Amino acid sequence: MDSKKIMILGGGPNRIGQGIEFDYCCVQAAFALKEEGYTVIMVNCNPETVSTDYDTSDKLYFEPLTVEDVLNIYDNEKPGGVIVQFGGQTPLNIARELMKEGLPIIGTSPESIDRAEDRKKFSQLIQKLKLKQPLNGTGRSFAEAQEVARRIGYPVLVRPSYVLGGRAMEIVYDERSLEEYMRQAVEVSPAHPVLIDKFIEDAIEVDVDAVADEERCVVGGIMEHIEQAGVHSGDSSCSLPPYTLSEEIVQELKTQTYALARELKVIGLLNIQFAIKNKEIYILEVNPRASRTVPFVGKATGIPLAKIAAKVMIGKKLSEIGFTREKQINHIAVKEAVFPFIRFPGVDIILGPEMKSTGEVMGISDNFGIAFAKAQMGAGLPLPLKGTVFISVADKHKPYVVSLARELQELGFNLIATSGTAAFLKKMGIKVKMVKKIAEGRPNIEDYIKNREIDLIFNTPIGKGPKFDEYRIRREATIRQIPIITTIPGARAAVDGIKAMKGGKIQVSPLQDYHKHQSG
Amino acid sequence: MPKREDIKKILIIGSGPIVISQACEFDYSGTQACKALREEGYEVILINSNPATIMTDPEMSDRTYIEPITPEVVELIIKKERPDALLPTLGGQTGLNVGAILAKKGILKRYGVEMIGADYKTISKAEDRKLFRGCVQKIGLRVPRSSLAYNMQEARRVAKKIGFPVIIRPSFTLGGTGGGVAYNIDEFEEIAARGIESSMISEILIEESVIGWKEYELEVMRDKKDNVVIICSIENIDPMGIHTGDSITCAPAQTLTDKEYQNMRDAAIKIIREIGVETGGSNIQFAINPENGEMVVIEMNPRVSRSSALASKATGFPIAKIAAKLAVGYTLDELPNDITRETPACFEPTIDYCVVKIPRFTFEKFPGTDPTLTTSMKSVGEAMAIGRTFKEALQKGLRSLEIGIDGLVDPPYIPQEQLIQKLTVPNADRILYIGHALRRGMSVEKINELTKIDPWFLYNIKEIVEMEKRIENSDKAGEKEFVDILREAKRYGFSDSQIAKILGKDETYVRGIRRKKRIKPVYKLVDTCAAEFEAYTPYFYSTYETEREG
Repeated sequence: MDSKKIMILGGGPNRIGQGIEFDYCCVQAAFALKEEGYTVIMVNCNPETVSTDYDTSDKLYFEPLTVEDVLNIYDNEKPGGVIVQFGGQTPLNIARELMKEGLPIIGTSPESIDRAEDRKKFSQLIQKLKLKQPLNGTGRSFAEAQEVARRIGYPVLVRPSYVLGGRAMEIVYDERSLEEYMRQAVEVSPAHPVLIDKFIEDAIEVDVDAVADEERCVVGGIMEHIEQAGVHSGDSSCSLPPYTLSEEIVQELKTQTYALARELKVIGLLNIQFAIKNKEIYILEVNPRASRTVPFVGKATGIPLAKIAAKVMIGKKLSEIGFTREKQINHIAVKEAVFPFIRFPGVDIILGPEMKSTGEVMGISDNFGIAFAKAQMGAGLPLPLKGTVFISVADKHKPYVVSLARELQELGFNLIATSGTAAFLKKMGIKVKMVKKIAEGRPNIEDYIKNREIDLIFNTPIGKGPKFDEYRIRREATIRQIPIITTIPGARAAVDGIKAMKGGKIQVSPLQDYHKHQSG
Repeated sequence: MPKREDIKKILIIGSGPIVISQACEFDYSGTQACKALREEGYEVILINSNPATIMTDPEMSDRTYIEPITPEVVELIIKKERPDALLPTLGGQTGLNVGAILAKKGILKRYGVEMIGADYKTISKAEDRKLFRGCVQKIGLRVPRSSLAYNMQEARRVAKKIGFPVIIRPSFTLGGTGGGVAYNIDEFEEIAARGIESSMISEILIEESVIGWKEYELEVMRDKKDNVVIICSIENIDPMGIHTGDSITCAPAQTLTDKEYQNMRDAAIKIIREIGVETGGSNIQFAINPENGEMVVIEMNPRVSRSSALASKATGFPIAKIAAKLAVGYTLDELPNDITRETPACFEPTIDYCVVKIPRFTFEKFPGTDPTLTTSMKSVGEAMAIGRTFKEALQKGLRSLEIGIDGLVDPPYIPQEQLIQKLTVPNADRILYIGHALRRGMSVEKINELTKIDPWFLYNIKEIVEMEKRIENSDKAGEKEFVDILREAKRYGFSDSQIAKILGKDETYVRGIRRKKRIKPVYKLVDTCAAEFEAYTPYFYSTYETEREG
């Protein structure tokens, strides 16, 4: 065995949920370990990547990431360490078996990973640290699921503990939908129950990326999601630093992150997803490995988290690397997801707990509105600065849309809405033109969209009821690349973006300048 | 010619967010370009809106702009940075389009920025269908008949003239978005209307269908001295009608006669010269009629493409890096091959193995969508595998996909009628259903008739299926014979778990026997030269032969 030789397992083919972010992490790890004088062996089978460039590592094995193929390479090379933290789910799926075969997996121990991933052990961990998580349970049948849901209260987030294609995560609001879900979740069995969590409505979701060694944990970035909890973290846009959270909450998020890192004896990367409602902090997930947001944090803050983590994993201390305290940045970076809906005509574009985006862009500025607007522009759906906005929101969202409508009007936009929303806005003293729903005759909203007379759409799903209309509207808008925003916080950010854009010109600055002008 | 000293600062445009048909291959090409140009002492300015990329790491370029890739924003950056040159050919279609708009609007001229790698005239000749057809015809080659249409009335007239089936391609969209194949007027009405809608300039191209013809790609590079090299030939196992990104492909081409290949080579060289790509890489697609060998030119990308990434990994030849160096004035004969150090970049790579690329789909994320594969790309990723034979590479590729299969496994049983459907209408599981049909006794001729896949590939799949039978019956054989079968099965790319399942055993059982009987893979080098020269970059693949290279 050669202790100065490290094998990095890559991420395999890209898919939705596991893409370029993990290649980025693997490549950074390779660069970091080469810097430290190690011989780096890369294993991957994705020809699109930088990790499979022959000059990224010292040795490249273009091979499948299965137990068999990795074992063969191990036998041939006998590296002193194997890294499974950076390649997404792919290497983690085979990590346990590789351990059993005696491979020296370095970094956070598989036992700790198991404590974070196993629901029972995770609950115990949360209790031990006196933290909070949403109420939850499991169900092997509808009856069991029903009992759990009644106990914890609707709405609930349901997902199979074992997913093989087909149905995955969903938010369920009532018993009938739960029954439907359980009936269709065909892979449910005693061995694979359905997991049920209390869904905290209208909570703010936060991602934290940190790195830890045995002595300390340092937070690399705290990202506040713009869409409310319930939208998959890979699909929601987010702001680094947080743009609405109080200093007190931010401090508490850090404290909880340190506690979890210490308890799990994290060596390397750690990602935690929090939900915040009424100043209560709930822990949704703890992932002691590279997350999708590591590269975004790197670009927003200049902290090369994956590189630092790789060095920690070979035994260097954060104090030796010189990364012992958080960085304060004076600018704002917004990440926005990019979706493939235009490729899949017929698919509804509503965001939910199932990830659908293929990629991401970043907007960076000294101002949140501009950063958000840049992100929309980068995603290919720039916010309009004039024209007509169509508003159609669920009843519960109507009160929230009033101030947005008013601001849009002041910014010179024309507003149109279908009867319900129009009546509500009129009552609140906003000038709005009424337009027919699709079933109400011609010309209706679909005609307006097709004639490109609409420049922006705010549409929150009503859920039940006239789904068909909504679906048609969203689909026609998607084909025509008309920006359509389906959440209230998203609409809020859009109005802020439009306002900022109308107020000043876009400025461009290189990352190197942003990173220089920050204290740390 | 040595590198140019009159330029100091170069702006590179990246490809933006990962979308279907423009994925991390452009991070690979952009990263190579940044590294190559800085190595030569140039100051590199980069714009890319995608923070997940390696190329946007602050240490990859001198000044990194994570900003929206629009002509307006790029102009702001040009104004601020005043680069001497713009390299638009490494950022996919996005980079090329923005570069072309900046040139057309006179912005590059205003700020004295030279476009390197490709110029506006070249981009137009390759991208504008009409100009491209003219160029191809001028050198005595043929493109499929086609016409442009801007409204439904024109569209119907063109379709009638060309005759069904026709292919509809909206102009200025990425990876065939909004296009498709129409076999009848109803389908045509729907696809053409959607195509006109989704095209930025309401323009669609209606093209004679060469569906079912064999599809090929050549990766070509040219320098200022007019040296042209073919880096790699790629054969699509799936015939025309399926987007290359969605096709299973292999390298090098397997079913061409030498004469056919030489014709294609000559054609590619003529095309790159006629289009006028002065420096850099291009990808040219051809279709060949399996009945009579007739060849048509489908299209050309005057830039580094997804296939270039595949060709680079398949051969070990760093296309993007070399393209960047050619753009600043070097010629192919002046650039050393990193792998051999001895040979120059004008040595065409030689391959002594077979490479298979298989797309990865995620239809389960989009319930309600049509999973039929057409000319509009739908896959979100890909795996590549290398083996000494096609059989080995195919099976390794299938198990690389991580979709719960460990090789060419038998898919769920379906009635004959559905099976015919699965073979006729292209879909993500077709390769498995070809195996299924063979297991059920369908002849290679019949499958060829239904799928239009070349019989050479089908015979190879048949050999895999026959090997499966031999493994199944091996429990009756003596130990020596069993070990021989096992050794041969490994050469056919069978995984331990696949063999175990056939035997009704556990994966560790097969691994145990292999270890005991010392059936181990050897590692061979991807060295661009089929071991003719010494290789300095250890880039390996496994195979079950005796001679090891690593």
